[in-house]
Amino acid sequence: MESNNNFFDAWLKSQELIIENLAESTKKFQHAFCGLGAGGGKKYGEDDFLHVYTSWTTAVLNALRGLDTADMGLLKETLSKTPGVSNACMKLYEIWLPLLKSIQEKTMSPDAYKRLSNPAEYKKMLDQVFGFDPDAISQVSDQVNRFIDTFACSAGSFMNPWVEASKKNLKTFPQFLEGHPESFLTIFHNMFNAFDGTVGRIFHVPSVGKDREKIELLMRSLDDLSVYLAKSTEYQHIIYVTGLAAFEKVIATVAEKISRGEELKGFYEFFDLWVDVNEKTYNALFQTEDFSKMQGELLEASVNARKHFLKLMELYLYDFPIALRSEMDDLYKTIYELKKKVNGLEKQLKEVSA
Amino acid sequence: MKSPYETFDMKNMVRELSEMGTKLIKGAEILAGIDAIDVGTAPKKLVYEEDKLKLYHYEPEGKVTCRVPVLMVYAMVNRQYMLDLQPDRSLVRNLLQHGLDLYIIDWGYPTKADMYLTLDDYINGYLNNCVDFIRQSSKKEKINIMGICQGGTFSAIYAALDPEKIKNLVTLVAPFDFSTNDGLLFRWAKHMNVDALVDTYRIIPGDFLNAGFLMMMPFNLNIRKYVDLIDVIEDREKLLNFLRMEKWIFDSPGQAGECLRQFIKDCYQENKLVKGALKVGDKVVDLKDITMPLLNIYASADHLVPPAATKPLNDLVGSADKTLYEFKGGHIGVFVGAKSQKELAPAMSQWLHERAGEETASKHPKAAKGAARREKSLKHRNS
Repeated sequence: MESNNNFFDAWLKSQELIIENLAESTKKFQHAFCGLGAGGGKKYGEDDFLHVYTSWTTAVLNALRGLDTADMGLLKETLSKTPGVSNACMKLYEIWLPLLKSIQEKTMSPDAYKRLSNPAEYKKMLDQVFGFDPDAISQVSDQVNRFIDTFACSAGSFMNPWVEASKKNLKTFPQFLEGHPESFLTIFHNMFNAFDGTVGRIFHVPSVGKDREKIELLMRSLDDLSVYLAKSTEYQHIIYVTGLAAFEKVIATVAEKISRGEELKGFYEFFDLWVDVNEKTYNALFQTEDFSKMQGELLEASVNARKHFLKLMELYLYDFPIALRSEMDDLYKTIYELKKKVNGLEKQLKEVSA
Repeated sequence: MKSPYETFDMKNMVRELSEMGTKLIKGAEILAGIDAIDVGTAPKKLVYEEDKLKLYHYEPEGKVTCRVPVLMVYAMVNRQYMLDLQPDRSLVRNLLQHGLDLYIIDWGYPTKADMYLTLDDYINGYLNNCVDFIRQSSKKEKINIMGICQGGTFSAIYAALDPEKIKNLVTLVAPFDFSTNDGLLFRWAKHMNVDALVDTYRIIPGDFLNAGFLMMMPFNLNIRKYVDLIDVIEDREKLLNFLRMEKWIFDSPGQAGECLRQFIKDCYQENKLVKGALKVGDKVVDLKDITMPLLNIYASADHLVPPAATKPLNDLVGSADKTLYEFKGGHIGVFVGAKSQKELAPAMSQWLHERAGEETASKHPKAAKGAARREKSLKHRNS
């Protein structure tokens, strides 16, 4: 009940805010529509409205997140998804603004739009559609970096050159996040060079027990992670490139419409067009053999990275008094086989007694 | 040509955004008042259990006119309550009202303890045990089996391996010929390293499979669906319909690794089922061994299981009595669409009544007529 009250308080506040600002924005719109704003000062008020609306939906979204409803995950999920999606709409709206301006300034053409549009903003929206999280990748790398640091401290100074190389590589992350697959391949090669020149030497000495096994697996895990990140960059790159190509198609369609003297009645008409063109463009990509292969390779790279990391964890946990994954797997197998045997015997017994 | 100022209706844009916000708030109030999302409400009794599997027997709605029990076998990748999503969109209730005696399998949610379960365990083990249980409890030599989606593939395999236990086989939107690339899943699965996937996860997470389904139409399923929701969010009933579907979509059990490994490799990648090379346990599956009457239903606009994967079954079975039924709609529409409730369920019921033989109590209205027509047509063909 208290959470409902909080929610409605937030709602009331946001209502007050929107009414207050809507009045101001409407004034500005009227000003713009009358042509009075032409020639000087701030010309249009759509930016203001957008900011008001965004702050309002954010307030509502935060209130919704705090709701404590009876059912659980699904309701909360839906609650957060719906306004969350409306935020994605707003993002699209923001991207749409330069287009609107170029039309109003009589400079509308696909090329003009390209100059005005902001690919970084569009990338953020595509991240939302496909569930990409560039921060997560950075976090994974940071984690690995910390892990290497810790390991290096315990393993002695011979690891340091490698750690340094790895840290240096991580500095190229901004390039990676901007969608340059080649930057990751560079990282990949650098890692191996560093590995060969430093830690790799350890493989030429006689076995040193579990520690050697750990080092081998650690290197293998990092190798897998590099391959995964390279594949992931390649994958995201094609998704972004396709998204931008689709958006150009949308703009071309809008330009054509305008040149025919037709009008876009509102945002939803634009939204529908945007969804349909995107879906069609992505479907064409998804149907290609190259994309299917790339997706398969990405999956394989991600599960390989996970597999070796899990093995590594097992090695570190081996000395603790807990059941390890591989031991549990053996146990499950034994139970499975025993059950099967018992079922078979029961069946035979039934047949004999019948 | 209009002035550029008229090309965009700014007032309309402002109105759209304001309306969207207002609807969101009203919808949030309604959402806050919803306690639970009820699905699968047709009354049923748990009659058999084995490990995670549960077999339910539906309570009849009126008189049972077709006394050959029907075992419904749903896919393992989603939950079976899609067949009874809500009272007015329930294939189950519809079939019960048409006098069928229904059982349904709930495969449950596999855990790591189930990771070694194979196709053989599911088909020759669990499914066979359910069939035997129903045969025994209903005192019938043969029962009807109705397989849906992946459950249809399993049912056809079972019917080929144990034809003597099955009176009629009904398959709905089920894949048999995996060589097609019409559906994205079929194309993508061919490049999947399923060994790496299974060896790593053991139980393949439901979320992983769901991500694949959503990826097929990312803009419609991740964005437009929720934007469209804003239009109906103020209507409690429509909102509940949406939530039920949403619940079903994201209620995806994990998959037993060994079973999925064989299903992907042997079916999706090597198409062994139609080649007569699929081995389940120690038995080779020959679809020609399906000799009972077959009703194979496909959806013309199915993007998950395209018609090209479903239709070939009729040419591969040994049945003399086989029907290919086209449902004009998509995969999900088969279960919950208005057309499904109005046309498909009655058609399925009639088809089963006509083939119940001596087991039809008081005959389905159209059954007698249909049976006579079939007999006549058979005589005509034989002469």
